[in-house]
Amino acid sequence: MSELILLQANPSSPSDWVLFWGHFHPLIVHLPIGFLLIAGLLEIDRLTRRNSVSPHTITLILFWSAVSATMACVFGYMLSLGGGYEEETLNDHMWEGIGVAVFAWLAWSVKSENLGRIFSFAQLMYLPALGIALLLLLAAGHQGGNLTHGSDYLTQYMPETMRTLAGVPPKMKEVKFEPITDVNQAMVYQQIVNPILHSRCVQCHNADKSKGGLRLDSPEMIKKGYEDGPVFVAGNSKSSELVKVCLLPEDDDLHMPPKGKNQLKESDIALLTWWIDQGAPFDKKVSDLKVNDAIRPVLASLGGGGPIENGATSVASGPAPDSPVLTMKVPAADSKVIDELKKLNLLVLPLSKEQNQLEVSAVNARTFNDAQAAQLPKLSNQIVWLKLGDTEISDAALAQVAKLKNLQKLHLEETKVTDAGLKQLKGLAYLEYLNLYGTAVTDAGLAELAELKNLKTVYLWQTKVTEEGIAKLKTALPKLEVIGGISEQAVAEFVKVAEPKGEAKKD
Amino acid sequence: MDIQDEIHDQLSRRTFLGQASAGLGTIALASLLNPTNLFGGASSPGTSMPGENPAVGKPHFPPKVKRVIYLFQSGAPSQLELFDYKPKLETMWGQDLPASVRNGQRLTGMSAGQSRFPLAASKYKFAQYGPGQMWLSELLPHTAKIAGDLTFVRSLHTEAINHDPAVTFFQTGSQQAGRPSFGSWISYGLGSDNQNLPSFVVLLSKGRDGDQPLYAKLWSNGFLPSVHQGVVFRSGPDPVYYLNNPPGVDKTSRRRMLDYLGKLHQEQFKHVLDPEINNRMAQYEMAYRMQTSVPETLDISKEPDYIFDMYGPDSRKPGTFAANCLLARKLVEKDVKFIQLYHQGWDQHGNLPNDIKTQAKSVDQPSAALIMDLKQRGLLDDTLVIWGGEFGRGAYSQGKLTRDNYGRDHHPRAFSVWMAGAGVKKGMVYGETDDFGYNVVKDPVHVHDFQATVLHLLGVDHEKLTFKSQGRRYRLTDVHGKVVKPLLA
Repeated sequence: MSELILLQANPSSPSDWVLFWGHFHPLIVHLPIGFLLIAGLLEIDRLTRRNSVSPHTITLILFWSAVSATMACVFGYMLSLGGGYEEETLNDHMWEGIGVAVFAWLAWSVKSENLGRIFSFAQLMYLPALGIALLLLLAAGHQGGNLTHGSDYLTQYMPETMRTLAGVPPKMKEVKFEPITDVNQAMVYQQIVNPILHSRCVQCHNADKSKGGLRLDSPEMIKKGYEDGPVFVAGNSKSSELVKVCLLPEDDDLHMPPKGKNQLKESDIALLTWWIDQGAPFDKKVSDLKVNDAIRPVLASLGGGGPIENGATSVASGPAPDSPVLTMKVPAADSKVIDELKKLNLLVLPLSKEQNQLEVSAVNARTFNDAQAAQLPKLSNQIVWLKLGDTEISDAALAQVAKLKNLQKLHLEETKVTDAGLKQLKGLAYLEYLNLYGTAVTDAGLAELAELKNLKTVYLWQTKVTEEGIAKLKTALPKLEVIGGISEQAVAEFVKVAEPKGEAKKD
Repeated sequence: MDIQDEIHDQLSRRTFLGQASAGLGTIALASLLNPTNLFGGASSPGTSMPGENPAVGKPHFPPKVKRVIYLFQSGAPSQLELFDYKPKLETMWGQDLPASVRNGQRLTGMSAGQSRFPLAASKYKFAQYGPGQMWLSELLPHTAKIAGDLTFVRSLHTEAINHDPAVTFFQTGSQQAGRPSFGSWISYGLGSDNQNLPSFVVLLSKGRDGDQPLYAKLWSNGFLPSVHQGVVFRSGPDPVYYLNNPPGVDKTSRRRMLDYLGKLHQEQFKHVLDPEINNRMAQYEMAYRMQTSVPETLDISKEPDYIFDMYGPDSRKPGTFAANCLLARKLVEKDVKFIQLYHQGWDQHGNLPNDIKTQAKSVDQPSAALIMDLKQRGLLDDTLVIWGGEFGRGAYSQGKLTRDNYGRDHHPRAFSVWMAGAGVKKGMVYGETDDFGYNVVKDPVHVHDFQATVLHLLGVDHEKLTFKSQGRRYRLTDVHGKVVKPLLA
């Protein structure tokens, strides 16, 4: 009973120990196979040729059959917790395996005359028990093979002539799909939907095996639906069984693909949903359909260059993609160099666990100066965020900063940096954030920024920049956001508000 | 027996058990009894050490947000007077809350006994502001001026109906005390961006008599190493208790004292192997550095007058919400990771129209000023400001309803929170409540979802930031929480 309950607990991640021992199952499992078969063969031999081996020998073999079968059950159960097996077969295999152990114990206890002393008829149970144990052994062994190698492993290379005799379906033809070269020109059903169906669904929904009366191997059959009706409602994915069953929790009996089989990826479901919502056409290209924000990145990931065109209407773009410097691969920084920077009281922080990109901050190094800045280019590949605000650096340091070709964010606020320094930053192709507040920068310096095509935000509070200078820069970089900050007059304006009256309306 | 020997004994017994239990039989049995959690499931049996989780100290992916300022509004501000415009309450004023809306949901003992639940409309008018035409109350005239920078969630809901469990739930992910708070998780998971200041700082604005109390458990490290607990910065000349040297002790002798103490601690650690000894040493050293860094960071004497003007007249009075907003900015400038500010006084069960007016006035201008100030300094680019309470307030009047006066009871089923800053869509209003502001009708956001989203912005996968305690792995979001992706910019 407890086994059953545990199975339903559906543990998401068993411990390493459990899986470690679980992996011994395929080893241990061969012991009861050998022992039991030997016990069976010796028993046959003993029945036909009197006095071939002593009953004690067979008792001993049966004892070890039972012990090893029990261990195989325990390890097998642990292995199953790792998941990834087809539920139905797994369940059969488990009960057959437990049966082997139970009947092996029974056979042993009768043979060893432990039971014989209690029940007089116990001897009658010996041969049936051994026989059932052997039959279950064969069944469990076969199911186990199916679980490990797949149900078609045995028959995979069966010659066609023998296939027809054995009633095994002919070899599945390998389906080839035309690869997508340009996603805009891709045929939605033929090159996107059909490959998904073939990789995850057609195995059970084809001409030979059409579970639930459903075949998903051709447009006609998809339109035909399953035994209870159609599988999709064109234009309405929410009412379409094809999508609904994929979205059910994996534990649900109706969830597809069944638990343990290869599951659809989130992007696969998104594509199927999109296809159905677009009317489930079988003869349209991607560019004929409406591409919304949700599906655009998924389509883009299918490959084939070029931005996703939009057949119907243009939709506002989704979240801005991350800067390439955040996703590109850069070599790991030399730990000696990092230690040198740390000696200058700089903080050197990885952007994330799996990336080599670095943030360098001088928040604890207010005396950081131009001479020390010469150390920075040693990490020219890695530094993407650099905080030098409120330090003693001046224009000379910017010559070093200019070598940090992957910089995305640069803090120079409240330093002695001037227009002359900004001139040197022209080569920072990825720079998006530039903080210059509290510096002596003027319009002349601002003009130098016009070549930073990726610049998104520049901070100019408490500088000598004028409205004209900003306007000029904006003609060169129309998408640039300039944060000028609040002047004393603006504060006076902000402070002024009306007192809330809170007058109740008359009844 | 000597205490040293005792600890040694315990250690060796523990070690012995740890190894012995790796025996085959025990494992088989244990796994059958508890298949998921054999030795806690990880490959490292034994006690959890600070370095246990390899992700600790580094984000899982590049963060959009480097720092958080959480302007916690304790007592539960009424969303119906401030943020969630419900004209239907005006037309149905005085009528009973339809039973179909309440649907038998529980109320607090304070109003459950009322014979009627007359609907109360906001006494204060609403208007639309900013490029997104966001509805805001006339109680928040300054906030209205920065509407374009705000991101609203109107569909938050929580599980607790009383203050203490609800605040604890928001701050620790559990209604019961004892779990690490939000800031502690972040300090533990992401470390510090300033070696001279704690990464989790707490600012308390002065309450008034009768306000709902705040407890130190809200910024406790729980079972996390104690270096991650929130450090309260008080107002006035001595912001951190016992930080300054006592009279007669100068910097040099303090340094020498710490050096010798460090040696003693190291000696002790070798014997006892208690990680808390290392934490204590780290705390002593941090306190020593803070003797310089704290006065320097919190020095507001050089702030120009117009900055004080921007935060409002209260900003010159230490301990007010406004003064603390200014301090929060100073701390963010120094890259303190998590600044938790608590403001009390929103628990308006009765006399709501008058009280909320005073209360809103105390926060409106400083909150807006903080956003503007962060923005002009380039800090809003990677700082997230959160403004909200532990739950909302109900649509019906608690106590007598008149045109001029009414009260509102606790309401956990729907309330509003705003955010401003990095990683969230500016000017967005997410989620929707029904005509009574009672139930969420679109895009509900549970407290755990909210926490998961903030962690996501900080570059943390909320399911991966875990700590093992008492045989179980814990997260801020417990076993719940989904990142609210539509909010992300």
